[in-house]
Amino acid sequence: MTTHLKKKIRTALANPTLQAALDGNAERRLKARLQALSEYSTEEHQSIRQRAHEVRAEVITNLEGYLEEFSTNARKNGFVVHKASDRPEAIQIIRDLVKEHKAKVIAKSKTMVGEEIHLNHALEADGLKVVETDLGEYIVQLRGEIPSHIITPAVHLTRQDVGQTFAEKLGIPYTDDIPTLTAVARRVLRQVFFEADIGISGVNLGVAENGALCIVTNEGNGRMCTTLPKVHIALMGMERLVPTMDDLALMLGLLPRSATGQKLSVYTSLINGPRGKEEIDGSEERHLILLDNGRLALRSTPLEEALYCIRCGACLNVCPIFREIGGHSYVGVQGQNTPYSGPIGSAISPGLFGVAEFGQLARASSLCGACKEACPIDIDLPKLLLRIRAGEGKRATKATSGSHVPRAMQFGLRMFAWMATSPGRFSAAQRMAGVFSRLIPPYSDWMSLPAFTGWGYRRDLPKPAAKPFHSSFTQIGLRDSASDHATSTEGQPRDQVSTDPPVSSPVSEGGPEKRKTFLVERFIDELTTLGGKVVECGPEELPEKVFNFLNSENIWAIQTWEESQLPEGLLLSLKERNIQIQNILNPSIQAGLTGALAGIASSGSVVLTSGVGRPLTVSLLPEFHIVVLQKEKIYSKLAEVLCLPQVRQATTSVVITGPSRTADIEMALTIGVHGPKEVCVFLI
Amino acid sequence: MTQTVQLFTTCIIDTLYPETGEAVVRILRRAGVRVELPPGQTCCGQPAFNAGMRLQAMPIAMHTIKVFEKTQGPVVCPSGSCTGMIRHGYLELFANDPNWLPRAQSLAERTYELTELLVNYLGVTDLGARYPGKLTYHSSCHLLRDLGVDRQPRALLANVREAEFVELPYSQECCGFGGVFSVEHPEISTAMLQRKIDNIEASGAPLVVSCDAGCLTNINGGLHHLGKPQRVVHIAEILAQS
Repeated sequence: MTTHLKKKIRTALANPTLQAALDGNAERRLKARLQALSEYSTEEHQSIRQRAHEVRAEVITNLEGYLEEFSTNARKNGFVVHKASDRPEAIQIIRDLVKEHKAKVIAKSKTMVGEEIHLNHALEADGLKVVETDLGEYIVQLRGEIPSHIITPAVHLTRQDVGQTFAEKLGIPYTDDIPTLTAVARRVLRQVFFEADIGISGVNLGVAENGALCIVTNEGNGRMCTTLPKVHIALMGMERLVPTMDDLALMLGLLPRSATGQKLSVYTSLINGPRGKEEIDGSEERHLILLDNGRLALRSTPLEEALYCIRCGACLNVCPIFREIGGHSYVGVQGQNTPYSGPIGSAISPGLFGVAEFGQLARASSLCGACKEACPIDIDLPKLLLRIRAGEGKRATKATSGSHVPRAMQFGLRMFAWMATSPGRFSAAQRMAGVFSRLIPPYSDWMSLPAFTGWGYRRDLPKPAAKPFHSSFTQIGLRDSASDHATSTEGQPRDQVSTDPPVSSPVSEGGPEKRKTFLVERFIDELTTLGGKVVECGPEELPEKVFNFLNSENIWAIQTWEESQLPEGLLLSLKERNIQIQNILNPSIQAGLTGALAGIASSGSVVLTSGVGRPLTVSLLPEFHIVVLQKEKIYSKLAEVLCLPQVRQATTSVVITGPSRTADIEMALTIGVHGPKEVCVFLI
Repeated sequence: MTQTVQLFTTCIIDTLYPETGEAVVRILRRAGVRVELPPGQTCCGQPAFNAGMRLQAMPIAMHTIKVFEKTQGPVVCPSGSCTGMIRHGYLELFANDPNWLPRAQSLAERTYELTELLVNYLGVTDLGARYPGKLTYHSSCHLLRDLGVDRQPRALLANVREAEFVELPYSQECCGFGGVFSVEHPEISTAMLQRKIDNIEASGAPLVVSCDAGCLTNINGGLHHLGKPQRVVHIAEILAQS
């Protein structure tokens, strides 16, 4: 009988377009990840992974306590916190909110939990307009498909596929030009952001100590969905917590590097609560739904470690099986889909949705260990897959006697075990195999087996030896004198690990002045690499330099932060030069001018916090984002910035790392999706 | 006094490649140790363990533990995968068995993969081997990622006289074997194998060296099926050449 899984596998292998797309994904992501991690020494990298593992283990072990702390703090911050034990409960909570707010249009940014509870399906059935706004998610939604990768939903499609989909569904003339397609999505979805009554987002990590939500996106749609609609609903798997902001910094050092090979994603948002008094943007009402759906039950089972996952997708990208079959092949015994594919999907899907239903996925692995090696949390995925194979986990049957083992294999292995526990039987079987394999065909050292054996499918088998090794062992000495040619350097066991010299940072040497110069240089270097612009100038030259920039782009009206939030005299000087200044939210404006709380040298990021006179939409809606940053506010690392009191107090903070971007179509980098296509920092 | 090591041949080498077993004995002797072959050994139990049939894997593992408990000194195994099974798999298999866990642990602690024993334990990187020809190296998954053994076989190969070593592109990628996986999912397995074969061809080397008879059987099986001239050999056979 051909199972649904087998059918999917064969279809995927026979699809050359899919194969090319998967190869492209694997090759680019592998290279980018290694490049991004290359700044750590091997020892540093391993020690960071171990720390991350410990942090996640601690959270999962004491999940109830952290959930309590997190929920209490989030409520204090103004979130309405809901707990949903399963899919129907989560859907009902959202339905009630939709009804309460008489919502008609919902803008969604990426949420795997949303996929897990089939949210779109449920809301569309209620007659709502639900629009995915991540470019990849939008494409698969238009096609009526499900995402085929945790972080690259449309990885299975080519630009031609996307072009055809857009032509059919959006009524535009066919094009396969990626920037054009991206621009179309920007235009269509921009409308949706403004129309939407409710924005629904996922959550990358929640911070227990202060109740903050961290959401990382590259395109800017996550920021749109959590800022523009009046009501924001955040959907979160209840295990996705870290205890402290320091732990968050640790995870953010791993997550984007492992996922896309970026030091930081373009937008790292920290949402502490709803819009504050007198703030002019940001959602006014924020809900947080903590979904269980099998997570609590998975704890204290042999599959608990699967809950450590932070969904970076690195294991999918390195997995040789994922590379052959793609995300859509990962189905249950009834052919049902799971949002979680690849190695982690083969562990978490049986873990959450049942071993009986999804345990077969754990068998579709060569256990090569590439996933464990790539996992930023060092989750022992091969061990988990082996445990599932052994029938451990939720709703497992016939514990420890194997689950989903094909019948012929069961029989074969029982026979093998019978022989391998008796040297006499084993030896006899070896000799018999040696003799019989020589009968047909007698003159070759090879046998070709029929395809149904599995081995014979495009593979031959060498014949067993006429006499096994153990029967001739005693004779080896007769033919070979035990002479010692070897050059032995030492006779005793040696230490296996050679340690690299510690890497000295130039920052630690020299005085504070030198350090400042280093940070500024590093900042400029990193940001310009990402396609950002940097202009260094003295405070007195600032108005002129900003004006020159606007002039060169032919921009005469800008939206800005309030005067008090910017260097003194800047807005006045710009007005004198006939630049029109606006403080209100205006979608048609081309450029936004903001200050910044801080800069981050190691990633070329600027950090903005919301507050009165500092609307964050200024840094999001226009095509150009102009930032004024003081040199002395450049810090070395993200962790230092996350400690700043302003970041902890603001209702929302965002770490912006370069212009908005996507690689959702054919992994081709395209700049300016939903957020600004240009970021220009004036360093004073 | 001459050091004695206990050889765990593994079922694949015992059954399919007795000449590899002989090569292992030769190089160990050349490294200055006495080699004993504890009688009664069969298989480590990995096929049943990987299939998820732990009830069947357990008695095989117990059998192996008993065979080596009668001996002393390091156990050497010319396979990364079987060594990994003993070192990590047994601990998982007997995790809840207070009687067998310590026995499994003591075997795990004294078991070494062949190149690991040579380089780390015996401190030997030059066996005086000579092989006139082009070679490349396939990093077997369990050897590389489960045991962390990579520099050892490379160091040993680097000292093979007259050999021209070339790097195998994507050497660390799985060949698609995976034990029971290769027969349960032959479609995926052979697609992965095809990628390995393409890379072998791209390397330009006619001979690939591997430390695992499982990978070797899989890759050679594919190469032979396709009528390709390249072959994979166990590292012991190259190191035994002189």
